[in-house]
Amino acid sequence: MSVAVVAERMGVHFFFDRQNRVVTPALARLRRRGSDAWGIRDISFSVTGGEGIALLGASGAGKTTLLRTVAGVFTPDAGRVEVRGRVASLLSVDAGLMETLTGRENCALLGVLAGLSRRRARHSLAAVQARTELGDAFDHPVSSYSQGMRARLGFAIAELVEPQVLLLDEVHEALDHEFRVLVEERAHRILRDGGIVIAAGHDHSLLERLCGRALLLGGSTIAADGDFGRVLQAYVA
Amino acid sequence: MPSTTEASPGRAIDVLVVLTESDLRTRYGRGPWQLVKWLVDPFALVGVYLLLVTFILRRPGDAPGLSLACAVVPFQLVMMTVINAMGAVQLRGSIIRNMAFDRVLIPVSSALTEAIAFAASFVLFAVLMGAYGIRLTRALLWLPFVILLTIVFAIACAFVASLLIGLWFRDLRPFAMSFVRALFFLAPGLVPISEIGGRAQTLVKVNPFTGLFESYRSVVVEGHRPAGWQLGIPLAWAAVLIAVALPTYVREQKQFAKVVE
Repeated sequence: MSVAVVAERMGVHFFFDRQNRVVTPALARLRRRGSDAWGIRDISFSVTGGEGIALLGASGAGKTTLLRTVAGVFTPDAGRVEVRGRVASLLSVDAGLMETLTGRENCALLGVLAGLSRRRARHSLAAVQARTELGDAFDHPVSSYSQGMRARLGFAIAELVEPQVLLLDEVHEALDHEFRVLVEERAHRILRDGGIVIAAGHDHSLLERLCGRALLLGGSTIAADGDFGRVLQAYVA
Repeated sequence: MPSTTEASPGRAIDVLVVLTESDLRTRYGRGPWQLVKWLVDPFALVGVYLLLVTFILRRPGDAPGLSLACAVVPFQLVMMTVINAMGAVQLRGSIIRNMAFDRVLIPVSSALTEAIAFAASFVLFAVLMGAYGIRLTRALLWLPFVILLTIVFAIACAFVASLLIGLWFRDLRPFAMSFVRALFFLAPGLVPISEIGGRAQTLVKVNPFTGLFESYRSVVVEGHRPAGWQLGIPLAWAAVLIAVALPTYVREQKQFAKVVE
């Protein structure tokens, strides 16, 4: 099975109530009054193994929504997305960690949710502790962690599934140099092994090193798709 | 739909177990006091009713404290499940926003968490049976079925609570809790159904808690197997609630990541 991400006319629709809170479509139908907006609309692209693709665009253009849909966190309300390969994502600084649980407990929980069996998740605990260099903090509640510690733990857990598709959403940009080097090195390895990296952000030099291709998002849809340099030029022009 | 794993019963069990474990950790913490808290927690919740009935109201009848425990223990299990389920989706907001997994398991996990949490309260039955000199009978073999029925009913309530209050009408949380509490008092909670007369006795049987309470009393206090209606009515309610709530929940769970805060 070859690694691929294919989106066809994909759209994600948001509904809001009168207080501008996001509500589900069913509740929006019940309440009637409110508004709606497409987070992304008519998105079509395909990525094959070995390809890195950057998502460019202003804040609110739909980069995060697109990444979350590829990650399976959002289900498309229109069109479809097909992802072939094991997916790992770093979509926010908290990386899905639960504040009240320790690093170890989060690892056991998120490892299983990411796709491991309970036994494999348990066996991976020591490796994650070593890789994150959290030491004793691994048994402390995550609420006591810095952003960097959370990101290191979240990324180490994401790596447990040996991802073939890696999704990065600006998170790596907000963190220390060592972490950025680590993420970049892992992303290059995934690409070398025939995987896919999809990364959103504003650190264009980092994105250029990872991605030969870029999608420019504007008005919730794809405004340009092509060679990274050409699309970046279109964006900053 | 992107996924990292194939759906399978084994996978569902793994996810259910880790969701429940994390819920229990959140609720009871960790360390040596965890076990003590687990043992004492249900006694503290049930104890106030026991004090009220046995010492203040001084209810007559057979083993009034045990009869009351037969109502309060299953009621607290359902009540705590409803409370847990109302906040379960929001509590797991961070994982819902970041990871793809079967969110249908969240209400089931709420019920399992509370079932484990309340397992300690079944020690009450043993203590009170000893105190009132109630003999052990073969009817006690029905107890696992009655407990299972309670958990199934709690799961059904969890889907409704999670969907209606946890997701759609969060402002109605206090009302929902009052509603469930009212159902306790509209059922033979403080007194057995035999002490309710006339048309009221027929009416309270419609309340699913009536069948649950009376089936515990049949098995634990009276030493005979539960009557058909005692098991059938709560089971029918559970089936109806699941039939109504589950398809909607399955549809709505695809939207969870958009609406969690």
